[in-house]
Amino acid sequence: MDRLLEVKNLHVGFRIFEGHLRVLNGVCLDVKDGERVGLVGETGCGKTTMVKSILRVLPTPPARVTGGEINYRGRDVLTMSRREMQALRRHELTAIFQDPLQSLNPVFTIGTQLRDIVKDSAIGRGRRLSRREIESRCIEALRETGMPDPERIMTNYPIQLSGGMRQRVCIAEALSTNANLMLADEPTTNLDVTIQDQILRKLDELVEERGASVVMITHSMGVVRDLTERVNVMYAGSIVEMGETREVLQNPMHPYTQGLMASVPKLTGEGINEGIPGRIPSYLDPPSGCRFHPRCSRQMEICSTESPPFFEIANAHQVACYLYREDR
Amino acid sequence: MNATPILSIENLVKHFPTKMGVVRAVDDISVDIVEGDTLGLVGESGSGKTTAAQCVVGIYPPTSGRIVFDGTPIGVMFNRRDKELKRKIRIVFQDPGSSLNPKRTIKQILSVPLKVHGMGTERERLAMMNRLLEMVGLPPTEYLYKHPQAIGGGEMQMVAIARALATNPQFVVLDEPTSALDVSVQGKIINLLTRLAEELDLTYLFITHDLSLMRNVATRVAIMYLGKLCEIARTDEFFRSPMHPYTRMLLSSIPVVTDEEELLKPEKIVSKGEIPSPVNVPSGCSFHLRCPERMPVCSTVDPEMIALKDDRVVRCHLYDTPDMGVLDTIIIP
Repeated sequence: MDRLLEVKNLHVGFRIFEGHLRVLNGVCLDVKDGERVGLVGETGCGKTTMVKSILRVLPTPPARVTGGEINYRGRDVLTMSRREMQALRRHELTAIFQDPLQSLNPVFTIGTQLRDIVKDSAIGRGRRLSRREIESRCIEALRETGMPDPERIMTNYPIQLSGGMRQRVCIAEALSTNANLMLADEPTTNLDVTIQDQILRKLDELVEERGASVVMITHSMGVVRDLTERVNVMYAGSIVEMGETREVLQNPMHPYTQGLMASVPKLTGEGINEGIPGRIPSYLDPPSGCRFHPRCSRQMEICSTESPPFFEIANAHQVACYLYREDR
Repeated sequence: MNATPILSIENLVKHFPTKMGVVRAVDDISVDIVEGDTLGLVGESGSGKTTAAQCVVGIYPPTSGRIVFDGTPIGVMFNRRDKELKRKIRIVFQDPGSSLNPKRTIKQILSVPLKVHGMGTERERLAMMNRLLEMVGLPPTEYLYKHPQAIGGGEMQMVAIARALATNPQFVVLDEPTSALDVSVQGKIINLLTRLAEELDLTYLFITHDLSLMRNVATRVAIMYLGKLCEIARTDEFFRSPMHPYTRMLLSSIPVVTDEEELLKPEKIVSKGEIPSPVNVPSGCSFHLRCPERMPVCSTVDPEMIALKDDRVVRCHLYDTPDMGVLDTIIIP
């Protein structure tokens, strides 16, 4: 499989009045062709910052990429010109965000917004579509997401739709571009479980059909387990553990992942773990060394001074924790 | 049921008249909560679970029906309830960021219920506040003079819990107390709540949309759909054999994290459709449009609550038949 997206040692910060927020701290992410990759982490761990840096939609300033690289099919995203970047967004990358009300324009009908996207992505591939073609593609895209009565939906405004329907519109928009890589940033967090189930299943199906790759960003371990082949666990701006999803969820190695897995309420009903003491550190003055060490129950001396590299446990299961250093 | 209920909701109805029509937020629900129990009220957004709870606390007066607490009917607005009742029934809201006043210190926040209920002198109140904070696991010297935004979401929720417990209540309504929090913080709050329930003999009405969480906190579960209850059962029974098609759909939709859990889920039911608008409730059973086991009768006749053995109540035409012997065979592994 070819490597589609590669994020290497990415550092992103924000300059604000109080100082310099060092949010992303050497993040790495690999996505191969046709692969579904999960990125899990709690609120404020930098998941969304990561997506936005890949799409280059972070406002700069205050945001600033201070190091690392993002490669898309071997091309450096960070040094692309504006025009190249637009072309990339137009028909290679696409994103679904958490709150569809924020990603849809409230003053235009669904039809207007969808038609624009279909038209532009076709132009991006050097084709000009007739009005009728655009219309039928829009309706087709809506129908594919399981939307009832797409013709009527086209004339509606976003507020006239329910949360689940809005998210379907966003998925339809994302899919209508025939993109190769979809960045789904908490696409179902605001939705009820039965609707979440429908949307994720549909998304999975459509992605499978097109052979596209997905980066699924979420805080829910269950969603990651259902939908992805590989997972990256993120804490305070760095990846702490990565590997095959089943393997990581069954044998979490990093103390953070272990704590997280133990605190997820389970259907087996064996009670809930106390969770992880403390909370995510301030990015103004993040802890030195491993950013998790102040909350870690198994911290060692080295943890507070040096930030851990990845240690390989088993096939492609890697953990950034000194507990797994070979010479121990 | 052997024990007498501390709170019983009898045929509670709460309708909101709007320009678009009457919103049937809560449409005839009846449930008893026994002392020391934790009743988990589960439902999707818009199912009316919060409205039901708010009627119990007195934020809304019910349109009809009775709420009986400790033998006395209390179905009136908050401002018409006597102080003693307000002391006994307390509520913790979902988002501590908006339920705590950002301009007040934690000391000021905690002192309000104490002052209102005339508990102790100034000095005694300070001692009470210290004890309350210790009870929820926050060191008083460190937290008493802080403002809510200076502490994390989990700690804020602990302060909100301390405030609810300040008046020694008997009954606490927990309206999605951990939905706004991360899982690593949620565990702490839940364990705190279970510990406090034992120590202080509290009875909870626990509202949530998270069934996996419910499995771990509730002693009984009530599932709500479009203002009506579909199923009430003891937690272990409920998860062993969910009976209502909606609860099965709900259970099969939740994403789980281990293989053992996967085995506990009922057979995959493909969920379809969305919760209809409570203004336009479908005729007959309100779930029939999404139901995989729909029968002709479902679209015309609204099913009754049917009491089954083991304290179970289910509202579905599948179980209308007088022959209850079949119940044993539908148990899902």
